[in-house]
Amino acid sequence: MDNTFHASRKMILLAVLLMLAGLAAIITGLITDPSRTWSNMLLNNMYFISISVGGLLFYALQFITGSSWSAMFQRIPLALGSFLPVGALLMLVLYFGLPDIYTWAQPGIAEADKLIAHKQPFLNTPFYMVRIILYFAMWVSLFFMLRKHAKNEDLLPGTAYYKKSRHHAKVFVFVATVFFSLAAKDWIMTIDAHWYSTLFGFRAMITSIYYAVAVIVLIILFLKRRGYFTSMGEAHRHDFARYLFRFSIVWGYLWFMQFLIIWYANIPELTAYYYPRFVGDWKHLFYLEMIMNFVIPFLIMMSDHIGKKPTVMAAISILLLAGLWVNLYLQIMPGSYGVIRFGFIETAMWLGYAGLFLLVVFSSLSRMALMPLNHPQLEESKQHHL
Amino acid sequence: MNSKHTIGVFDDEDKLVKAIKYLKSKHANIKDVFGPSTNHELIKSLTTESRLPYLAVLVAAATIAATFAFLYYTSVIDYPLRYGGKPLFSFPPMVVILFLVTILVTGGVSVMLFLGRTQLFPGKKAWIPDPRVSDDRFYLVMDQNFNPEEIIRWLREFGALEIIETDIEKSSIS
Repeated sequence: MDNTFHASRKMILLAVLLMLAGLAAIITGLITDPSRTWSNMLLNNMYFISISVGGLLFYALQFITGSSWSAMFQRIPLALGSFLPVGALLMLVLYFGLPDIYTWAQPGIAEADKLIAHKQPFLNTPFYMVRIILYFAMWVSLFFMLRKHAKNEDLLPGTAYYKKSRHHAKVFVFVATVFFSLAAKDWIMTIDAHWYSTLFGFRAMITSIYYAVAVIVLIILFLKRRGYFTSMGEAHRHDFARYLFRFSIVWGYLWFMQFLIIWYANIPELTAYYYPRFVGDWKHLFYLEMIMNFVIPFLIMMSDHIGKKPTVMAAISILLLAGLWVNLYLQIMPGSYGVIRFGFIETAMWLGYAGLFLLVVFSSLSRMALMPLNHPQLEESKQHHL
Repeated sequence: MNSKHTIGVFDDEDKLVKAIKYLKSKHANIKDVFGPSTNHELIKSLTTESRLPYLAVLVAAATIAATFAFLYYTSVIDYPLRYGGKPLFSFPPMVVILFLVTILVTGGVSVMLFLGRTQLFPGKKAWIPDPRVSDDRFYLVMDQNFNPEEIIRWLREFGALEIIETDIEKSSIS
């Protein structure tokens, strides 16, 4: 088997068909129910951008920790980052729908709402767009730098580009932790403009790595079935399973900490966020979110034997992909759209985005060697066993 | 209890690993291996399936149940005190206590179980079946639950340099 991935014609066709379905959903949605469509668009933007940033964070973490086991899978988290430029465009498109999502973007709200008037220097449409551009300028430029180093490394033996990648990985981790937390607060938390949580940004960042690992696992298992990664064995699956298990604990911990402190303090400004979700119409989704993202992954991944079976890992990863959707739905919809609706628009839009994401990621994968050629820890990674 | 042991002396890890794998496949009891160094293969061939994790899960479940019962008893039945307008029985603050107590108890009990199972405790006298086990050779210590002659024959077949038959009672060094 050669070392480059070729997307089959069938896959490209499928991705394009999914994108067309998504486009149809956006068009019909904008005509019939603009608020719902814009909110869904924000949801899907956040969904795939967070996976993208999470993939790069995972990539950077492998350099910073000097992990050798993952050296041969490096190109997959790196390819997840290639969605960032597309994500930037999609975030900019949101400009036309801001008043449909955010209360603070509605014209004349400053006169009616004192609190929002107070926050207006930060929460206004021009600055919001500028911030989007700034965030993406940083992430995309760092992504291209990391990608350039990886490409150069394939051409030139030696550790020069490995060291450069490691340097930029450190910069990226700093930039992503600070500015992805800010971005999550910007895009999601300000929907409920009166409410705030200091934990929110950090939670979004942990969430991004958690689900990025799930996507990486799915892509790797898929490629393994296609005949790539022949030296991948039980030990590598074990490590990925441990990643999923540990992040499920961290995710559950942060989810609960944010809830517990607000529940305990019982301050009306803060409980206003949790009241509809915990007691009101959304309470079933509230429990479902916890079960999908923490309880099931935690209990199943706890056992080493069960956790590293490929079918179990794939099933948990797919569950997590649904879990991320529920997670974001519960963060966005109560504040922006206000009613639980699940139908053609939601499904088709997610599928369309998924098609676009797969197309971008797989075309980025096919333009590079699937396994790095000159990575100093490559052999160690291939020989990795328990 | 039969305290007699057969010790095979090896000078090569590869021969030792082969012998261990064969003896294990015949269900002979390997008591211990002494040697100057170790490697991956050796550890892997000696590793046996541990049931300790399952026990730990059981202990954790029991701890959660017991702690929950205790918290419910103290906060609802024995000393019902309403604070902050919260219901007497409210689950969220219990989670933190359940989490911490479960980790503490499960960790502690697991260590105790491990030490008990391997018969280790502070101040235990070292068990040295032969005075030379700290030399530069590998000493494979076998229980004589199996036919001793057969074990000796196998050990020779796999390249043991020397075979020692010993009685632990006498050879324990204090």
